[in-house]
Amino acid sequence: MQSDGRPPVLELKGFSHTYLDGTPRASEAVRDVSFRIYHGERVGIVGATQSGKSTVVDSFAHLLRLGQGQVFYEGEDVAAPGYDRGRLRREIGIVFQQPDSQIIEDVVGADVAFGPTAAGLSANETRERVEESLNTLGLPYPDYRLRYIHALSGGQRRRVAIAGVLAMHTPVLVLDEPMAGIDPRGRKELLELLNRLQRDRELTLIVCSASLTDASLLCDRFIVLDRGTVVMDGPVREVLREADRLAELDITLPEPVVGAREMQKLFPDFPTDVLTEDELESELLERLGTA
Amino acid sequence: MLELQRNVIFGQFVETGSFIHRMDARVKIAATSVLIVASFLIDSFLGFAIVLPLFVAIGVVSKIPLGYVLRGSQIFLAFLVFILAFQVLFYPGDVSQSSYLWRWGILSVSTEGLYTAGIIALRVILLYYVTTMLMLTTSLVDLTNGLELIFGPLQRLKIPVNELVLVFVIAIKFVPIFIEEMERLARAQTARGVPFDEGGALTRARRIGRLLVPIFISGFARADTLTIAMNTRSYRGGRYRTKFRQMRASPSDWLALTLVTLWVLVAWIV
Repeated sequence: MQSDGRPPVLELKGFSHTYLDGTPRASEAVRDVSFRIYHGERVGIVGATQSGKSTVVDSFAHLLRLGQGQVFYEGEDVAAPGYDRGRLRREIGIVFQQPDSQIIEDVVGADVAFGPTAAGLSANETRERVEESLNTLGLPYPDYRLRYIHALSGGQRRRVAIAGVLAMHTPVLVLDEPMAGIDPRGRKELLELLNRLQRDRELTLIVCSASLTDASLLCDRFIVLDRGTVVMDGPVREVLREADRLAELDITLPEPVVGAREMQKLFPDFPTDVLTEDELESELLERLGTA
Repeated sequence: MLELQRNVIFGQFVETGSFIHRMDARVKIAATSVLIVASFLIDSFLGFAIVLPLFVAIGVVSKIPLGYVLRGSQIFLAFLVFILAFQVLFYPGDVSQSSYLWRWGILSVSTEGLYTAGIIALRVILLYYVTTMLMLTTSLVDLTNGLELIFGPLQRLKIPVNELVLVFVIAIKFVPIFIEEMERLARAQTARGVPFDEGGALTRARRIGRLLVPIFISGFARADTLTIAMNTRSYRGGRYRTKFRQMRASPSDWLALTLVTLWVLVAWIV
């Protein structure tokens, strides 16, 4: 996806960050992280807790003091003096781990409208975007428009948070642990929705997670973090081939991969880069046929 | 970017393993009380000059960087200057004509006004410094145990000591949690287009207002969770519990307390 000559959408160059740097409570979150993400890529940033995923996400929209290392958006250094941070934040939509923190207004409709209004869209356009986003997320506009957000369930609040970001029509969409607190059916719906949106809007999609279960169905490439540094970076299947190492890093593997690792006890050459149950089955049948 | 945790250190605990950190919490609380009383009794610049080395000593022995404490006290100090400006300008006491330095209507600057304001400033700073140092050097567990042991005898008068101490400690503990929460909210809202990191001081202050409702909601939710957690673990107040780790004050702890008391007495008598 890097052949079109455009600069990468996002690039981190030697990015390091220590929270409360210079105080006795300083804690290093990431160290010397570098990677490039190109237009239309679907990237999973995976790692156990404390691996630095959320810090990396915050760096994309310049939500941290950028001391060591650089962050580039569309080839421009976001920390350069005079850089338009407002524009940067209008183009990178982030859905945070805790949906409550990014809710600004108290009523669903008003909150989803916040971004488009702040970006200067007309009332009509804003209304259309709100309606579209809420409907897409399975919160019918007429029913939910005037509901109080704090009276909604956790899963519904997450949907409102996502709708608020979708309404911005950002070219880059970043989701930090999007599946937390969502039931299996909601998960499936959200997966389909994100895949569809990514295709239709040619989004650059970045998903953070400690579990590869959903990320492997959403992404083409994984960047694996461990204790603040990048330890693997490559296509999904390539990364999955090193299932043992992933397990050591405390990363939850997808079900088919777990099955494949079990199979390795019987067939040492059994591949672990299986994405679906069907693939697992055909690999197994193939081996049973020859045995 | 918004890093409130740097600017407000109230209620934080910083482990450096120093002598002050290892002191018996009861002795530390007693010494703090002595210093608090002293801050009210001392009323001359000479007295404050005498206790100054004691404060420097506390700071040095605790191994907590001075820069960290100062930076974390910026907001407090700015507020203090603001209040003291009023104290000077509207000084109500008797002022002899010759000591006016500047006068305009009801506003004035006089030597008496400056003197009183100076004493008050030192008093408040002393008070703030002592309590901040107590919290920076004492873990909440130690603080709770120490207070419970000190006020334990009041239990016989049917005063719910454990509950009161618990409320006090939770109140303190919630300050850093709130500050962290505010930081998180500000960051998430910045991402959505409320620029907390731009504009003048007044604009920024007004934006903080946006955080109040979510902060209160999360605060109540947190309190609720804490209550449920305590109930499920059958919390009934500390008096029904025995302690695995008994507090024991060492001779050097008592020596430190005696030294502080004597020092303060000298400063008061002078």
